[in-house]
Parts: sequence; structure tokens; C-alpha cells
Amino acid sequence: MEATKSSNETTIHIPESKSARSKAAAAPPPPPSGGWKRGVAIFDFILRLCGITAALAATTTMGTTDQTLPFFTQFFQFQASYDDLPAFSFFVVGNAIASGYLILSLPFSIVGIVRPHAVGVRLLLLILDTVMVALTMASAAAAAAIVYLAHNGNSNTNWVAICQQFNDFCQRVSGAVVASFIAAVIFMFLVVFSAVALRN
Amino acid sequence: MMKAGPLELGDAPKSSTPKSGVNRGVSILDFILRLIAIMATLGSAIAMGTTNETLPFFTQFIRFRARYNDFPTFTFFVVANSVVCAYLVLSLALSIFHIMRSAAQGTRVVLILLDTAMLALLTAGASAAAAIVYLAHKGNTRVNWFSICQQFNSFCERISGALIGSFGGIMLFILLILLSAVALSRR
Repeated sequence: MEATKSSNETTIHIPESKSARSKAAAAPPPPPSGGWKRGVAIFDFILRLCGITAALAATTTMGTTDQTLPFFTQFFQFQASYDDLPAFSFFVVGNAIASGYLILSLPFSIVGIVRPHAVGVRLLLLILDTVMVALTMASAAAAAAIVYLAHNGNSNTNWVAICQQFNDFCQRVSGAVVASFIAAVIFMFLVVFSAVALRN
Repeated sequence: MMKAGPLELGDAPKSSTPKSGVNRGVSILDFILRLIAIMATLGSAIAMGTTNETLPFFTQFIRFRARYNDFPTFTFFVVANSVVCAYLVLSLALSIFHIMRSAAQGTRVVLILLDTAMLALLTAGASAAAAIVYLAHKGNTRVNWFSICQQFNSFCERISGALIGSFGGIMLFILLILLSAVALSRR
């Protein structure tokens, strides 16, 4: 630090600040604020919790269906349960996988909140969420096709609607299908949020 | 005193960085996959939509004809595949835009959003039709729904084959979303 004294003023040169300034200028510019990404990640976490609720509700509602009508004959069954129809078994398995995946992905979502600029975690979650969209939508749609048949039947193939007899079974199954569609929509939102948080 | 050189903070021109080269390759692959998906979904829609089998005998009371619109689920399948095929044709323009401007980010997010919605629609149609095709093949003895495939053999083969193109389209859509995400995440 050198000081030159002229008549009434003192000029002090501080070379260290100049080198510090050029050092800061040579360093890479600081990353843009991660505030909005953190907000998106928090919303993502909350949506995952809602998705766990929806998928678990769908699985348990379908898995605990069992209606026995109070009369019987020697030749006909009057019992309806979810494993009578393979589409419903696939529904239970698919939604169980989806809810298990959501529970396991919660720590990754927390990592995304804590580190707003993590790219690998978000990319992994986006890819797995996309696969889960397909799986959840497939199980929901297959069960919905069977539920539609159970409500309306099909006169061209002589498939009789069974809902008039098994009323309680039909209601539970329809409710489970609705919950599964809600879970599929939640997965779609999760994919879009991960994509938005991936951009710079 | 240190002088900042003129290129110390500057970037090299964008078209020569390896990042945009890989992004351009990813966009070209995206375009090619979209073309394949167009053919797959169009094939499925046509294969299901042109089903019409009439058995060579008849009585007064029983039908001996099978078409796709005897089943509302198959009608939904044809509609879903047609909508997805039309969307893919329209999204080719956006895909070409991404080939030219490999660093575009906002439009890639829009493309991911639309691709996810179309994936959901396609999966719903294919999966609902698959459930009905399984019933047509095997029937269900617990609820007294009889399988129809022993009589309507060619109809059953057609509807089973139409599912293949649709499920292939689902795989391609997952790949498309993955490619867009990879292009978006490279910085």
C-alpha cells in the first residue's frame, strides 16, 4: 500500500483490491438463484405425499373387495372378489408397485430440495416417474374397461352386467379405479415439475 | 495491475461446443423415433378400425358378425391411437425446430408436457383394449363371460395384432420423453 502526499490530499492505492477484483472476475459467475427451483422441489415433495395416499387407497380398496351374496345354489357361485378377474389382480400389483416407488423416491425428492442445482437426481426421478405414469395408467385403464363391462355388459357377446347383483363390490371397485386415475395424473404433474426444474 | 484479456470471460461460439453437438444428435434421434411412432400408432388404428368378420351361417336370433364398434373399449382405442398419431405429425415441426436450435429449453419443456399427456392417453387406450382382448381369448367362468375367439378367429387375431403397434408406441413415447429430458439437463 503506497500513499502519496500532495498538497492537501492523500491518495492511497490499494493494489490488493484490484487483484481481488480481477480474481473474482476470472472466476466463473455464480449460478443463478435456486430459489424458484427449491419451491418447485418442495411442491414436488408434497405431490409425492398426495400420490402415496392415492395409490395406497387404490391398492387397499381393490385388494379388500370380497362380497358374498346371502343365497346360493348348487351350481352357481355368488361370491365376487378381486382375484376373480385378472385385470383387477394386475391393478392391485401395479398400484402396489407405484406406491412402493413413491415411498422410496421421497429421499431423492428431499435431496432435490436441499440441493436445487442437482441434475442427476432430477433426471433419474423424471425417467422413473415417466415409467410409473405408464404403469399406473395401464392398470387403471384395464380395470376401468372391466368395470365398464361389469356396469353395462355387452349384448353382442352375451356378457351380462354383474353390478345389479354385486352392488357393493362394484362400488368399491369403481372407487379404486378413480383413485388410481388420480394417482396417474399426479405422476404426470411430477414429470412436468421435474422437467421445469431441470432447465437452467 | 492485471488486465483482463478480451477472451478471458468470453465463450467460444455455440455451434462448436460438444454440448450442442450431442444435443443436435439427440434431437435428430427424437425426430426419427417420432416417425417410427407415427407408423406404429397409425398401423394400430387402421388394423383395429377395419375389423369386420361375418360368419358364413346365421339364425334369426343370434348375431354372427363382429366389428370393432361392438365394443366401446375398441372404439376408444381407435380414437386414442388416431389422436396420438395426429399429435405426433404436428409435433414433428417442434422436433425440427429443436434440431435447428439445439439449446432451446422452454419449448423442450412444452414438448415433454405434451408427450406425457399423449403417453397417458395412448397407455389408457392400449391397456383397456388389452383387457378386453384377454377376456375375448380366455373368457371368465366366475362371472359367466364366455370367450368369443373360438368362433371369431380372424377378428381375434386382428385385434390382438393391433395391440402390438400401440404398445410399441408406448415404448417409443417413454424414449422420447427420456431424450428430451437428457437434452434439457445438459448444460
